[in-house]
Amino acid sequence: MTPRYNDMQLDALRELANIASGTAATSLSQMLGRDVDISVPKAFSLPLADAVDATGDPEETVTGVALPLEGDIEGIVLLLVKADGADTLCGMLGVEADSEVGESALGEIGNILGAAYLMALSSMTGLSMLPSTPFVVTDMLGSIVASVLAQTVGHGDTALVLDSALDITGEPCAISFLLLPNADAANDLLAPLGLAEPAA
Amino acid sequence: MGELAVSSRAGDELVAIGLGSCIGLALIDREAGVAGLAHVVLPESQGKPGPAAKFADLAVPELLSKVVQAGAVKRRLEAIMIGGARMFTVGASMDIGARNAEAVRGALKTAGIRIKAEETGGNRGRTARIILGNEISSQLAGGERTSLMSLSSNGTRQTAKARR
Repeated sequence: MTPRYNDMQLDALRELANIASGTAATSLSQMLGRDVDISVPKAFSLPLADAVDATGDPEETVTGVALPLEGDIEGIVLLLVKADGADTLCGMLGVEADSEVGESALGEIGNILGAAYLMALSSMTGLSMLPSTPFVVTDMLGSIVASVLAQTVGHGDTALVLDSALDITGEPCAISFLLLPNADAANDLLAPLGLAEPAA
Repeated sequence: MGELAVSSRAGDELVAIGLGSCIGLALIDREAGVAGLAHVVLPESQGKPGPAAKFADLAVPELLSKVVQAGAVKRRLEAIMIGGARMFTVGASMDIGARNAEAVRGALKTAGIRIKAEETGGNRGRTARIILGNEISSQLAGGERTSLMSLSSNGTRQTAKARR
């Protein structure tokens, strides 16, 4: 049985995501020397098909950086950047977006932002969460998100998604930051906050 | 993901957008003009409940029963598989796509349905599209579209070979 989450739990997860993405925004801002805006994160627990649609237009081509987690929490951090955002980021770093170097640069940005995000989550929850090697892929958003969810949700029927957005001020560059915990991992995230579901 | 749709009305479109490691499984009775499309996510249900089309082992019998209900005749059914890519090229455990494709092939064999065309593997996402009375196609991210079966009523029967 996949756990479902009540409003208080989703609020708590949203707050975790908010603080963590704030930390990631700071590191992005330092890296680029630009202001970065963050929006209030969304936390949703939805059936698989709806979860994919909730992350964006499934047919849109995006670049995804997937960071599988190691440590106390299993899951994947997924950064999604639209084509114009990838161009902007690569341009600021002085590399071509549609090249091996560009892909590697986006992977590295994902790695740094993911590490900042996870470090903030770790320090709030006391759980160890380390990013492993990033995978970079440019494809339809639906293909990327669905393939990652197939992995994290597995035999459960609902996907928990924490979705934050970072925007570089004044540039067409939105980075969507998704934390996709494995089926049981969200409860582990909630436990240190005293909000884990009692064992059934 | 995990959904299925069936139609027997010419002009209807059945679409699965953004199939990465997932498989779009089409069952078609061209004579009756009935087609069904299932979005398979994982190879085996392992006894777990879930949407019927989510797991290959449950999706094939479920889709079969739905297209037969809609007027298809089992012995005339042809299967087309689209998807099963390996989106992330590192990490053996992540190749769900290949396992999905294998499981769907196995379930089709068990059900006695032949595979007419297959567009699986590789590392790019695809969109599966059935336009009843027209064709079944697979489209890669960014454009390239492959017609896998003509469904037009003028009797042309052509299928593309599976390409990797």
